Amino acid sequence: MSATTAAWLVLACPLAGTILLGLFGRALPGRIPGLVGTAAIAGSFVFAILAFADLQSRGEEQRQLVSSLYDYAVTGSIDVQMSILVDPLSILMMLVVSGVSMLIHLYSVAYMGGDRGYVRFFAYLNFFVFSMLLLVAAGNFFLLIVGWAFVGAASYLLISFWYRRTTATAAGIKAFVINVVGDVGLTLGAFFILKESGTLDFLGTFKQAEEISGANLTAGLILLLVGAFAKSAQIPLHTWLPDAMEGPTPVSALIHAATMVTAGVYLIARMHPLFEQSAAAADVGTIIGAVTLFVAATIGLVATDLKRVIAYSTMSQIGYMVMGVSAGAYVAGLFHLMTHAFFKALLFMAAGSLISAMGGEQSLDRMRGFRKAMPFTFLCFCVGGLALAGVPPFSGFFSKDEILLVVGDEGGWHWILYVVGYVTALMTAIYTWRMIFRAFFGDPVPEAVELEHGHIHHVDVPVNPATGEEEDTDVGFPGPEHHIAERALPMKIAMGTLAVLATVGGVVLIPKTTTWLDTFLEPTFADAPHHDPSDGMIWFGLALGAALGVLGIFIAYTIWGKANGEIAVRLRERMPAVHRFLINKWYFDELIELLVVRPAGWFGRFGQQTFERVFVNGTLVGGTSGIVRAGSAAVRALQSGFLRAYAALLLVGLGAVVLYFLLQA
Amino acid sequence: MTIHLSILLWLPAAAGLLGMLAPRALGRWIAVAGAALTFAYTVVLIADFDTGARGLQYVTDETWIAELGIHYKLGVDGLNLMLVGLTGLLFLASFVWLALTDWERPGQMVFFFGLAESSVLGALLAQDLALFVLFFDLMLVPFFFLTGIWGPPATRIAAITKLFIYTLVGSLLMLTAAIALGVLSAQQGGGDLTFVLSDLARVRLSEGTQQWIFLCFAAAFLVKMPAFPLHGWMPDGYRNMPLPVLAVFSGVLSKVAAYGFLRVVTPLLPDASVHFQELMMLLALASILYGSAMAFTTTDVRLVLGYSSVAQLGFIVLGIFSLQGDGAQGAIFQAVNHGLVVAPAFVVVAALALRAGGSEDVRDMGGLAFRAPVLAAMFLIVTLATLAMPGSANFVGEFLILFGAFNSKIAIAIVAFTGVALASVYALRLFIRSMHNRVGADAVSRELTLREGVVLVPLVAVVLFFAVYPQLALDRSERAATQSVRVAGALAHPEETRIAQEQPTP
Repeated sequence: MSATTAAWLVLACPLAGTILLGLFGRALPGRIPGLVGTAAIAGSFVFAILAFADLQSRGEEQRQLVSSLYDYAVTGSIDVQMSILVDPLSILMMLVVSGVSMLIHLYSVAYMGGDRGYVRFFAYLNFFVFSMLLLVAAGNFFLLIVGWAFVGAASYLLISFWYRRTTATAAGIKAFVINVVGDVGLTLGAFFILKESGTLDFLGTFKQAEEISGANLTAGLILLLVGAFAKSAQIPLHTWLPDAMEGPTPVSALIHAATMVTAGVYLIARMHPLFEQSAAAADVGTIIGAVTLFVAATIGLVATDLKRVIAYSTMSQIGYMVMGVSAGAYVAGLFHLMTHAFFKALLFMAAGSLISAMGGEQSLDRMRGFRKAMPFTFLCFCVGGLALAGVPPFSGFFSKDEILLVVGDEGGWHWILYVVGYVTALMTAIYTWRMIFRAFFGDPVPEAVELEHGHIHHVDVPVNPATGEEEDTDVGFPGPEHHIAERALPMKIAMGTLAVLATVGGVVLIPKTTTWLDTFLEPTFADAPHHDPSDGMIWFGLALGAALGVLGIFIAYTIWGKANGEIAVRLRERMPAVHRFLINKWYFDELIELLVVRPAGWFGRFGQQTFERVFVNGTLVGGTSGIVRAGSAAVRALQSGFLRAYAALLLVGLGAVVLYFLLQA
Repeated sequence: MTIHLSILLWLPAAAGLLGMLAPRALGRWIAVAGAALTFAYTVVLIADFDTGARGLQYVTDETWIAELGIHYKLGVDGLNLMLVGLTGLLFLASFVWLALTDWERPGQMVFFFGLAESSVLGALLAQDLALFVLFFDLMLVPFFFLTGIWGPPATRIAAITKLFIYTLVGSLLMLTAAIALGVLSAQQGGGDLTFVLSDLARVRLSEGTQQWIFLCFAAAFLVKMPAFPLHGWMPDGYRNMPLPVLAVFSGVLSKVAAYGFLRVVTPLLPDASVHFQELMMLLALASILYGSAMAFTTTDVRLVLGYSSVAQLGFIVLGIFSLQGDGAQGAIFQAVNHGLVVAPAFVVVAALALRAGGSEDVRDMGGLAFRAPVLAAMFLIVTLATLAMPGSANFVGEFLILFGAFNSKIAIAIVAFTGVALASVYALRLFIRSMHNRVGADAVSRELTLREGVVLVPLVAVVLFFAVYPQLALDRSERAATQSVRVAGALAHPEETRIAQEQPTP
């Protein structure tokens, strides 16, 4: 099977799954819909492997294939084909997306088992995977934008999955609107590039990359970055991501950690021939990435909601990737994208298991001592935590160091980013292990004790933890049953597989040892400048990364692991201003509210209350209708007399004008 | 194949008349059959249309009033083809909807409705300016009756009074402009008095004359759309029309005005079109921003759609007055798309009101999705298409419009993009506040009934079809849309046209 046929089938599987589940899902019994959904994604994964195999069997120059199904929208100056681009980059993304998605689908088969929206969940999840695959396979800007918007819509649907929770719908609309801002950036950016290149096709555009450099290109690329920032939760378009944790936990694992949020990284890597031509745009990406990775990590240090800590961590890790690919570390950025998908999905799954054991409660303040009650979850959390903290030989260790190595090698002002990257690496280890020490160590909470005795905690009248509102367990609310990894085989298989990948995933690119990923991606990045850092720098980076990871874990242990976290309380009391600043997330939400949301509301209300009433109704209509109102009694008496008046006036007018011109002529 | 446009034109009115005269139970179904035949006729027309041919097809041309040079000339080209199809589809849907609902005096209703369809088709098909003006004015008459007789008794008279005043002013201005155009062209060209559009296009009036004629036409069209700030009749008008009537009124009538710009104004008044290009684009921009802001602050569901139409028509005007081929083509396509989504949206409004205890206020709704997954899915598709999500046909239209605007007036295009983001706010807000969140006090979630589904589902299917294959419409409109703005575009951007002529597009 040729690579392009296989790639089309990669897209077809989840689309077929969506349609099948959407139309007939409710006719299927029990957990079958979940298995159907999982099978669709497994199909994608198999076809992605076939495409990979076919691509590898070709010569290096023939590894960029374009396939078009039909003319989608062709006009005089725009030529949009329904076309995909199959090259090592898109195949890598397809493999990661379909592989991780398959495991998360499997996890959800059990995790969502008690929910009344089971079928809907899998239909949405399949739709998301289709959209994400479309995004990475797109062969032109237009389809990229379509995939981009589809993942945004899927993300919205899944954030608001429990749609009768007002907190979930508010988070959904926020995510959607910010993502539309990103879509707008992307579209406008594509306009600037289209204006210069005259084509929307990727390869056609890249071919003329050198001719189109200039102000329009820089403007276009910065607008593309706006799209990337919105999707990848980079400052200042990040505020939707923490709120997106309102969605079910598998959604957080799949969309808001492993796949969709990394789309910005993919975009920059995909556009690398253009970014090579515009240093200014590349610098914007690099700096925003660096700022984000730092700011998000500081918030992660104090956040108390388990899922939000991981969400801020995601923001921070994507900051590393964005910084990396913007600074030219394409392979390293994508390497981190892959390992991050493994360990972050794993962490979210483990968090989901823990939240289930708490009966839906997510606050770290309420969790303690789950180590004995949930050994498997604990083990997975530790593996994910070690990989995230960058402790060797776990996967995150190699990928993060690779990014910082290339950034450091750039020289010039990039050394600041190098330092920020390592400082944040220390914070990463601290906030990660803060979660672990708080949730799994110390005296067990009642829920943990209950679980040790064989019962999963169950609340009779569930409340929304965010608002305290009472909920029922009907459609549109979380289901009544909870499932933990220790008791559900599908969850265990999914988490176990990811734990293995998170441990050994780094093997594809170990400095001075393996270069598999580098070699594989070579055809896509052939024209990008190569980095060749000195041996001393390589070893220094590795040693520093390992040391900071271990040090961070030790600090976390000292603060939260010992004596039930008394030191943490004392720290908070010692620095109340810092704590307040961080717990309020650097006041970004308030800033956006003040600058954007409120003025828009004022404008709307001004129009509604003042302009419509006074100007439009009062002046424009009032004047004319006043004249009519004078004779309205007569008009009403004639019932529809004004129609006659209308016809008469028309005739009179016609006559008068005709007469005038005829006399003139 | 010979297709007689006169049959297409008069069939709905004839069926309506027959429906009124037939016995009560049978009458409405005769009218539905007539609308179905009309729609089938338009589908044949779309399928048979020769994409490669220049100029008008299926032309009917008879001299009507020889002394005044008025012809009964009908014809189809890329500008009106898809709009004719849209008219056929939306009227069919509304006829079915009317037939499935109980009304007082149903016979009269189908008569007025058939008359409305014929006059809309007449305005679209007319290739003679006088005929166009006649149908354009005739178009409103049935809607006056439909609102005046079947609207809510307390407010309907006030609403049509307002609508009447607005459109009267517009119509008189247009009438004057049309006559002036014919007479002055005859004077300048030295030939006989004629109103046939293709004859008028041969003469280019002096710039000053073009300008005042332009303003008269623009006023009439902008009122009909409506565009900011001439939308004063819209809130009352929308609140007082029965929903099946409103669905076609909002879906089709406003498009005739947009179509009028491309059929009459840009080809016949190219100098004035360039002169007023910025003014029109700024008005369009104001409509987009103002309409969007109103749409996300009002709580009346009908008005959310009404103000969103103001914004969407703003996009269409923006595309036309970009005076670029892409922009004009996008405008035509968007006119079809907006009609295709706004009609099912009004079906949804009716369904929502039925479930919210008769209220059309979003504050009385909420949570309506949870026992109604099919309704929710249909509404969601309509919502996403309304906000022109990429992947919908509406996005293709918006993309072309904005790219056209981007190429002619970049600053205006960039500000117009704000409207894209605002659309997502009002469309999604409407969806969430009616379908999601806690169930409203008097609201009951019930699944889509068969009656609602028969009207709603086929419309949504058409929306999905164009999302997958927009090329069907784009292919057919390209030649005519480009032609309509060619002269004006060349005046506005002399340097670009020269390049385009050197490299003819295949």
